[in-house]
Amino acid sequence: MEAEGERVMVLEQLATQTGLPEWLLRGVLAPLVYPGLGAFAAVALFIIWAERKIAAKVQMRVGPLYVARRLGGALQLLADGIRITFQEIIVPVTVEKKAYVAAPIFAFAIVAASLAVIPGGPGVYGFSSSVSLLVPFALLGLIPIVIAVMGWASNNKFTYIGAGREILVTVAGEVTLLASLLATAMMYGSLDINKIVTMQIRTGIPGIVVNPIAAFLFFVAALLMTDRIPFDVVLGEQEIVQGPYTEYTGLLFVLNMALDYGKLYALMLLFSDLFLGGWMPFDGVLLGSLTVFIKTIVLMLIAIFLRSVYGRMRIDQIASMFWSRLFPLALASLVISAAVHVVYTP
Amino acid sequence: MAIKLPGMYGREVGEREGYRIVELFIGPQHPASGHMRMILYLDGDVVVKVDPDIGYVHRTIEKLSETREYVRVISLIERMTIIDACNVTLPYIEAVEKLLDVEPPPRAKYLRTILCEINRIASHLYGLGLGGIFLNHSTMYMWAFGDREVFLHLANMLTGARLTHTYSVFGGVRRDLPQGFKDEFAKAKRYMLKRLKEYDKIFYNNPVIRGRLENVGVLEKEQAISLGATGPNLRASGVYYDARLIGYAAYPDLDFRPVVGKHGDALERIWVRLREIEVSLDLIERALKELPEGPIINERFTKGIPPKVRHWFEKGFIKLPGGYVRLKTRAGEVITRAEMGHGEITYYLVSNGDIKPYRLRVVTPSARNVILFTVLPVGHTLMDFPAIYGSLDYFPPEADR
Repeated sequence: MEAEGERVMVLEQLATQTGLPEWLLRGVLAPLVYPGLGAFAAVALFIIWAERKIAAKVQMRVGPLYVARRLGGALQLLADGIRITFQEIIVPVTVEKKAYVAAPIFAFAIVAASLAVIPGGPGVYGFSSSVSLLVPFALLGLIPIVIAVMGWASNNKFTYIGAGREILVTVAGEVTLLASLLATAMMYGSLDINKIVTMQIRTGIPGIVVNPIAAFLFFVAALLMTDRIPFDVVLGEQEIVQGPYTEYTGLLFVLNMALDYGKLYALMLLFSDLFLGGWMPFDGVLLGSLTVFIKTIVLMLIAIFLRSVYGRMRIDQIASMFWSRLFPLALASLVISAAVHVVYTP
Repeated sequence: MAIKLPGMYGREVGEREGYRIVELFIGPQHPASGHMRMILYLDGDVVVKVDPDIGYVHRTIEKLSETREYVRVISLIERMTIIDACNVTLPYIEAVEKLLDVEPPPRAKYLRTILCEINRIASHLYGLGLGGIFLNHSTMYMWAFGDREVFLHLANMLTGARLTHTYSVFGGVRRDLPQGFKDEFAKAKRYMLKRLKEYDKIFYNNPVIRGRLENVGVLEKEQAISLGATGPNLRASGVYYDARLIGYAAYPDLDFRPVVGKHGDALERIWVRLREIEVSLDLIERALKELPEGPIINERFTKGIPPKVRHWFEKGFIKLPGGYVRLKTRAGEVITRAEMGHGEITYYLVSNGDIKPYRLRVVTPSARNVILFTVLPVGHTLMDFPAIYGSLDYFPPEADR
């Protein structure tokens, strides 16, 4: 409860210094700075570089090297990003113009919005609510609809097939994701992410130890929802070029590319809050936030490492894996949660 | 103002022969089409028909070879399959040798065999790498291409060129075995055998890859024979056939046994390639052990060489006489065959006694295997198409010639 007091104090101080209302400060700082877009930009820069470097290490290559040679090519993505940002945005004549341009912006905004609810440290969140666990899930659940719009508006066979795949993948993955979220909520008797973290700190046991099945399911479903190998059927380069993003160029393509990494970041942030005890060993705002951030990055590194091991699964294999093997496991995780709930809340 | 372009909307479903189908054009501008175009007709996600549209890299090699002297044709036909340059030229050289009535010395035959097997390993690694990236398995892709360098290095050592080593020439080979080659090969063999075990772990026995390849694109034995499939694709279907068995170069002396599969699915085709690498390594080792001493080119071409350049021969290099470019064969026709990495290649050479071929007909293995595209993917999903493509080890420049 000390953390609670301190957290209020930090933001209150900031609010009195700047003369702005505290809710506004939270609502702006969390989605835009940390854990929102600012932190995400840094993570994306690091993670994509690390993804390429790790894959290169496994595959006996060098990876990015020439931009910032002393840092091992760490600024390669920045250079690429600057180039592609100023590239011409080509809008083909056959596309539905308004939907084509709006869809990537809208999809990325949704991901950014979901970062307003997920706490990135003790008291570091945009909004808190008694059902805050469901908000990111609901927001991320909107993205497939936007991607379907993208595929339709692009008016290309590859994008259209990609949009269909996105819907199929979401239908398969969302149920498992929701089941693992509900198992966690049931375990701690709360839908508030902050409360779930405090419960873990109070009991001293992170969620992954209590209910490893739910944690595993969450991780696998997150891989599916974010098009990570072996579940990258939506991008499916060898069949459908870039899936729903095929027709995009320039900044709009960057947004699409950032979309998957943004989703991965949001879900892994949620994972470290729900299953790894959030800011667990620490109470302070700075150290706590740093803990969550590092946990998230480690989780993302695990997710991207799978690229060097697996190929791509077929759609029907993914669907049957999620419905007939992982979904029954989700029911088992609910049973564990029911048992744990009795122990936790006498 | 929007331009109305009727019929250009990609999302519109077409109708053909009574079915509502999507006509999907894969290639030539596509990450996984190769230098060709595939027209896929899809009913939902199921492929109902495939129309391989070949000819994007047709370079009129057959016609061009009629305009060049015999020896200059060698470096031309290498361009059909530069990854397999010794195997692709060897039957042509044997055809011309038959018309010249020249027999290469035994040492040259062995050296040709060694380079052919090095080429075969490199070609299989190329195919395995592409088979990996078709399933988005980038590690297999990079590993195979990285380990291919080992064999390009061996070829470089032997011939002085990484890819288009015009090594076999009429009557023999261009260079003798360099010093240290045996040690270098022993190192390469040890390394490759170790790597093959790792390939098995990360690719062949990878559950995701197995799921993608098992029972996909099954080619039955009878079907494989009647369609004229060739190479590892034929052997994976359980047919005991390999052009090396007919006995050209040094193969009759080396007790060669082909690798034969059973089921003929995509996984089996990958398996045959992996095991053939082991067989080829054994063949090279045996050839190096039994390598006979003697000249590397038929004496007919060394007779007229002035003593000034003779010292090259002591160093193991061939300095060919000027008349070699204007060799005249006797009139006649010859058919020769050989086994390339991709399958059997056939040459039909017609000569009218001139310094240039009258007609050179080439049937390359990829040209024979392209028919499998119309048969194997039918009934599978769109996602299986790259898996089948990758397992066939199809090489468009070779098919188009």
